[in-house]
Amino acid sequence: MDIYLPIAEVSVNAPLLVALGALVGFISGLFGIGGGFLMTPVLVFLGIPPAVAVASMSNHVAASSMSSVISYSRRRSVDFRMGGVLAGGGVVGAVVGVEIFRWLRLIGQADLVVALAYLIFLGIIGGLMLWESLGAILRRRRNAPAPPRKDRRPPWLYGLPLKLRFPRSRLYISVIPPILLGAFVGVLSAIMGVGGGFILVPAMVYILRMPASVVVGTSLFQIIITTALTGVLQAGRNQTVDIVLAVLLLVGGVLGAQFGARASTRFRAEELRALLAFIVLMVGLRMGLGLFFTPHEPFVLMSGIGG
Amino acid sequence: MAAAHPPPALVPLQMGAAPAISAALTDATVRVSSDFRGDKIVLYGAVFDPQARPSDVVVIVRGPDQPVRIARKSKIAGLWINSRPVVFQGAPGFYIAASTRPLDDIARFATLRKLEAGVDHLAIHAPDEQRVETRYGIRDMVVSRLGADYFDWRSAVIRLKERAGLYDTSDHGVRFVDKGLFRAEIALPAEAPIGRYDVRILLFQNGQPVSEKDRSLTVEQVGLERALYLWAHQRPWSYGLAAMAFALAAGWGASSAFRRD
Repeated sequence: MDIYLPIAEVSVNAPLLVALGALVGFISGLFGIGGGFLMTPVLVFLGIPPAVAVASMSNHVAASSMSSVISYSRRRSVDFRMGGVLAGGGVVGAVVGVEIFRWLRLIGQADLVVALAYLIFLGIIGGLMLWESLGAILRRRRNAPAPPRKDRRPPWLYGLPLKLRFPRSRLYISVIPPILLGAFVGVLSAIMGVGGGFILVPAMVYILRMPASVVVGTSLFQIIITTALTGVLQAGRNQTVDIVLAVLLLVGGVLGAQFGARASTRFRAEELRALLAFIVLMVGLRMGLGLFFTPHEPFVLMSGIGG
Repeated sequence: MAAAHPPPALVPLQMGAAPAISAALTDATVRVSSDFRGDKIVLYGAVFDPQARPSDVVVIVRGPDQPVRIARKSKIAGLWINSRPVVFQGAPGFYIAASTRPLDDIARFATLRKLEAGVDHLAIHAPDEQRVETRYGIRDMVVSRLGADYFDWRSAVIRLKERAGLYDTSDHGVRFVDKGLFRAEIALPAEAPIGRYDVRILLFQNGQPVSEKDRSLTVEQVGLERALYLWAHQRPWSYGLAAMAFALAAGWGASSAFRRD
């Protein structure tokens, strides 16, 4: 059953999109990520104009994050104060990111930057995560003890001014690193059409040293704020949000996220991380390696002017 | 939607010596609703020529103009990178030339070029790349910064549009179904732009256009699609806020519905 999308002005297969939304939603709930990094490339592959895909994704990511964050907050695993500080940076980053994206489209380099961003960020994060989780799995198989955790907190994190207490994360740190982190993720979210959870989650664990129990919920909370803003900005500035597309995706997405969040309790954490790392790595390589192959067609049409 | 209606009643033959052409679309409006998957435009027409000279009919359907931005990939430091985009003006968003025979057999190059008949004869150009200068002692020459590659760029625009199903040439898309009565069928893909289309019906004899009729076709969104399209473009901020509010509410709703306690 095909359905016509009024803003994208193309016709797509509706059940396919709902199923795609459900699958990505499931992964999103399972790993506590937005899932935008998976969905955006698939939408572009299905023939939806990239600008519309990136913008409409914000609505989908906000919806599925909302659906899972509530379950996390019931378990008291959202640090709202930390999420708010991150989102403060994220808001600035998103506004800057939307403008950067407009400028990149104008000079025709949006494709390049998007592909490179996918290759670099997904490649590095996927690679590191795969290495770390495979190590953990092997150690458990051999019954080897976990390596001593290097809990030495980086001094620069504590030397900075503007310290704030984050009781739920049991932290007393400067607000500067979380704001910068939020801003960086906000820029990426506007450019790559992602929520940014795949960067935020490891950064919160390894840089901010937040307890693992609050990381996912807090990341989702900050993603809701950033993507909600990105979605409204994209609609207002570029008129590229297709609500029919977003609804199709989020119908599947919110349901999938619920099942995913439930399924996540049945797997071991390191196995989940290894699987996620594998998916992240594959998407990054798939998006980025195209840059190295000789294209069949040397010319490429750029969609719409300005918008 | 475009079922085979009976051909429109013929106008009584005018008994003048000059050949004439007449045509009508079976449906002058294409409605784009949620189940739109492309459509077929059917056109019937008649050639009035008392002397019954050999005639060719060309039907050109042209959608609203849309400037085209195109870039070329080149290898820089091992990566395939887009060049600065070039904007071509005068390119229709949809274009198809249907004829009774291949266009090159019907008329000469210069004639086709003047009529913009056929994808190779579309008057598209890149004004931003042009400048007027004196060259070889000749003043006011228009040269393109793209230089000798200009034709590669231009043919790439056509090629990519053809691949997207938006430009086409249908060499036998017009057929005589009876003496003097012809029928043309033109496929409109789902990607075709919204707007007013011009349909030109040309009668050729001896390689010259001898009669012409213009018809217009409207491709418009209807119902919910139209309402959403207008809302998104006329009041983008309220649309964006509403879309986001809906998304957040849906997420909240699903979470509450699944709550087990």
